[in-house]
Formats: sequence, structure tokens, C-alpha cells
Amino acid sequence: MKGSSIRTEKISKRFGSFEALHDITISINKGEFFSLLGPSGCGKTTLLRIIAGFENPTAGELYLDDREILALPPNKRHINTVFQNYALFPHLSVFENVAFPLRLKKTGKRQIQTTVEEYLDLVKLTAETNKLPQQLSGGQKQRVAIARALINQPSVLLLDEPLSALDAKLRQHMLIELDAIHDKVGITFIYVTHDQQEAISVSDRVAVFNAGKIHQIGTPVEIYESPADGFVAIFIGETNFITGTVREMADNGYALIDTGPIGSLIVNADKKVSIGDTVKMTVRPEKINISAEDPQQLAAHVNVLRGSVEEIIYTGFQSKYFVNVADTLFRVFKQHINCRLNEKSISWKDRAFIWWSADDGYMVEVVHR
Amino acid sequence: MRRNAGPLYVAPLALWLCCFFIVPLGIIALYSFMSKGVYGGVVHRFSFGGYTALFNPLFLTVTLTTFLIAASSSVITVLLALPAAYFIARSARKNLWLFLVIIPFWTNFLIRIYAWIAILGNNGFLNSLLLATGITSHHLQFLYNKYAVLLVTVYTYLPFAILPLYSTIEKFDFSLLEAARDLGATVSQSIFRVLIPSIRGGITTAILFTFIPAFGSYAIPQILGGSDSLMLGNIIARELTVTRNWPLASSIAMVLTVVTTFGVVLFIRLNRFQTVTTAPEAFTAGGVDGDEQ
Repeated sequence: MKGSSIRTEKISKRFGSFEALHDITISINKGEFFSLLGPSGCGKTTLLRIIAGFENPTAGELYLDDREILALPPNKRHINTVFQNYALFPHLSVFENVAFPLRLKKTGKRQIQTTVEEYLDLVKLTAETNKLPQQLSGGQKQRVAIARALINQPSVLLLDEPLSALDAKLRQHMLIELDAIHDKVGITFIYVTHDQQEAISVSDRVAVFNAGKIHQIGTPVEIYESPADGFVAIFIGETNFITGTVREMADNGYALIDTGPIGSLIVNADKKVSIGDTVKMTVRPEKINISAEDPQQLAAHVNVLRGSVEEIIYTGFQSKYFVNVADTLFRVFKQHINCRLNEKSISWKDRAFIWWSADDGYMVEVVHR
Repeated sequence: MRRNAGPLYVAPLALWLCCFFIVPLGIIALYSFMSKGVYGGVVHRFSFGGYTALFNPLFLTVTLTTFLIAASSSVITVLLALPAAYFIARSARKNLWLFLVIIPFWTNFLIRIYAWIAILGNNGFLNSLLLATGITSHHLQFLYNKYAVLLVTVYTYLPFAILPLYSTIEKFDFSLLEAARDLGATVSQSIFRVLIPSIRGGITTAILFTFIPAFGSYAIPQILGGSDSLMLGNIIARELTVTRNWPLASSIAMVLTVVTTFGVVLFIRLNRFQTVTTAPEAFTAGGVDGDEQ
């Protein structure tokens, strides 16, 4: 691996009385595609700027391969950045923008020519070398910015919301290319985004931020399937929350919670709880089944509820049902694996059964009695 | 709305310029080719006299002096204005600083020049201060030389350099400096390779705004200058009012106009050319790259 590991040790950053980052400790592995995910203003960009060297933390340490680098200026860090607005030099051609780092190092003319061509080739931008940045499309500017950031062969590449200025289709396309580039150059990528889809589709691991704190660090699957708390659950995709009181503990790792009007539900006891505690549980909409008929012969540990369908949103590959169960609205996503026309359809105001396996429900918050 | 109404919009300005710029300039051009009247004025007889008189060493020396004073004051002004404009553009209190830059315009230009006599004169503020503090034991001669002219020219035209520089720097995307630093540039490299080339238009304007009026300067050398700082403007005035050689005064004025126009056009052309082609070569050769972080 050509990349380096990055470790932040209890990094905090204050701007006046505002605490942008609080005790951030993250360990990013060599060659990893690591995302910092969170809503805007959560501190993820501040952390990126600290790693790049544009900001100094109020407290904490920053290690690049076990070497403390906070004292180093940005140009001495072996870390390069792809900026949100691309920050291409408007007075320089595409070629000269990419050649900029090499010119600083006084690299030979021929060497510059071949290296710049190699990197423009990497980002698939060989035809536009003599154009000025303002003559390029958003996607092309993005490619120039990536080539320019990679040409110094940094050990870590920082990407600050690199796709936010592109339209949805192009974003998807660039994301796949970014992933391919990551595979090719093999260095560590730290990717800042507020878009959970982007983060979970390409990252090896994701750190979910909110209000200057880390809520969870994990693989995309861990973050999605087993969110550490309510914030992570709601930020990464849509979900349902149900609050109840623990009434009974089963020794096989399940708890029975009393949710009042909805009734009793079985849930994974993945957090330490005891009888009488108040818990908030979550279950993802696509994990819930829906049918007009009473589901017969279900396996053990399945929650079945009855409600009325309030709203249906048909999106082609799936339908989103909003089912009212005792005045709590459940989101249920049904994937149309079979032809929708051949199915007995559920329509508005129909009574319907919804059910999910206890293994698909997780506790996200616990208030101990 | 009428189509092609464009010319109508500029008609008032065109009329104004025609009456008060083109026609007078034409008169001066005509006069420069006429003969000198015995008691001043011109005699309507074609002559190259006004131009042949230019080929004397005194005139060439004055032209050189004028150019040197104008060029050096322009360069000094822009060098002083650059950091000031940068500071204002990045300051949270831009309006306050801009206000302070503009304040001198509230006082008459001539009065401000005379004020410098009060500061630099033999019994002026500066000499009194130096004597009172015992730094010097006798009066120092600050006035009536080219340094006084230079100083006050810079003082006078500083706002004309700060304002265009401010307006370009204010539009500059400062994240480009971070990008340069990120890509391995030192602080000075990021300034000379990214900031300066990006605000070249503003620098050009600032140089023109200071050089052109300084080149045609009259009042400042007249009031504060000495024999070493005789400028073309003073010669023109002398030929017009004292010697009363109007054709000569006109020919000097024509030379001034033609040289300035060509100079400006050439300067702008040169700058535009450099902006389009790749810039870094020009800077690596100049040795402006510092080695500090």
C-alpha cells in the first residue's frame, strides 16, 4: 500500500464560544476509503481542514503514520485536497493547473509533460488540456481538480464534498470513477459528504458526525443495519421509531417491550437493558412485510400488527406504504420483485397486516429506570 | 423599444467628448504645426518649428525626468497599495477603510499639496520635530527637489491605485491560495504564482491610473519641485504663458498625448497576451520563489 494511516487523538476545535469539534478520535487505515458523514455544520469539514493543515485544533493530536504532523504547514504534509468548489487556478490552462505542483518542484519539462498526461489520462481528460477552467463543464473541472491533487502522489487524498456541485446522474457516474481511481492509486481517501448514499456506496468505513461529535464509526452495512443511536438511524436512510417499556427479558437475547396502544413487540436486546427501562427501537421500512391477508404460519419471534393504509407512493421498483397502527405511522417499503400487475393490490384505506422479524428491530436509545 | 438604440445611449457622452476633448485636441494638433506669433499666439502659416525645437538636450532631459518620476511613483504607489488593498478586501470592516481612503478627496487637491509645505518646509512640522527631539541640529531641506515631488505624487495617487486593486482582490477566490499551499506552494509562491496573476487586471488598471496622471503632472512639481524635477507639464505651461511659444507648447502636448496613448495600448496588449498563455515560466525565471514555509 502506498497510502498512509491517519489518526486523530482527542481533537477539539472552538471558534469563539462555538465548539465545532469535540474530542474526535478516529483511526483511518492505510489505503482505506473513509467517509466523514454528517449534516452541514456538523464539523466534518473543519476536521478535514485540520488534517489538510488549514486550521489548527484547539486541542488534540494528529498522526500521519505515527508521526505527529500538526506543526507542519499544508505544503509539507504529503496530503492533498480536492476542494468543494474545485479551486482551479483561473489564469492557468488545464495542463498548467495539473502541472502546478510539479512546476513548484522545478521538475524537468519532459518529465512534466509525461506525468501530466498520465494523470489527465487517469481522470479521462485528455482532449481539453489547453482550455481554461471557465471553458470546462462541472464534471471536467472535477476531473482536473482530482488529477491536480493526485499528481504529487500524496499518501492521503482529502475530498471535500467533491460531487455536491454536479447533477444527480453525473454524481453517480463520478462516484463510480472515484472508486476506480481509489483502487488504481491505492492511497488513503478521506471523503467528506452530507449525502448518506454517496458515503455508504463507496466507503470502506464511515464516521457519522453531528454537532461536532462522532455518533458511530463502522462499515456502511454496520451503520445502516445496526445504527448506534437514533440520529444515525434517521440520518442513514428512512426508518421507523417505536418507544416502549421493557416488560420481559428472554434469555435468548430478546426483550419484550410494551408500547402501549400498538401492543407488545419483541426486539433484539442489543443494548444493556433491564425490566422497566424505556427504550426507543427502530426497524427499517424495507424489513417490514405488508399484505392484505392475515399472514399464516410465521416463524417464531415475529411482530405482527394491523393497521390501515394511509398513503401509497409507487416509485416503479418499489411502493412506499404509510400504515397507521393505533395513530403511529409506519413506513413500509415493498420491493416489486414480481410483476406488480399480477399481485393483489392494497389500496388506500385498506386494512392491512404488517410484520417483521424481531432480529430486524434494534434498540437505539435506552433510558434506564 | 427601438432596435439598435445602442448609439443613442452613448450620444450624450460622445457629444460631450467631441466638444471638450476631440475638438480641443484637434486645435492643439493644428497649432503644433503653425508658426509662433511675435507676441504669443500663432500665425496661420505651416511650420515644423514646434517639432524641430524638441530636438534639444533640455527637452530630452525633461522628458526622461518626467518618465522616471512618473514610472517610479507609479511603481511605488502600486507596491504600497497592494498590501493595503489586500488588507481591506479581507477585513471585516471594509467600508470603514474604504471611507478613510476616500476622505482626502474631500479637500482640494492644491490645498493638500500646500499642506505638504507645512509639513516638509524649513519651518515645517517635520523639521520642528527633528529639532525639538535633538535628532538634527539644523534645518533639513526636504522641499523643492524630485524626492518631494515623488513623495507627494505617491500620496496623491495612492487612492487611485488602492480602489481598483481592492475591487479585483475583493472578487478573488481566496480558497485558491489554500489550494496552492495544499499543492506544495510556500506562502510567497502562492502569492506570486496565484494571487498576483489572478489580479493582474487590477494591477494594470492601478499602474495606468497612477502613471498617466503622474506623467502629465503640473501642479506638484510646480509647487514642490526644484530644478531637478522639471516635468513636461511645467515646460508646456512655461512655453504657453512665459515664453509664449504656443506651437512648441502644442507640440510637447501632442508628444505627451501620443506617447501616453501608445504606451497604454502596448501595456494593455502585453498584459492580455500574458494572461492567456501559461504564466509560470515568467515567474520561475524571476527568482521570486522564497523558501520559507
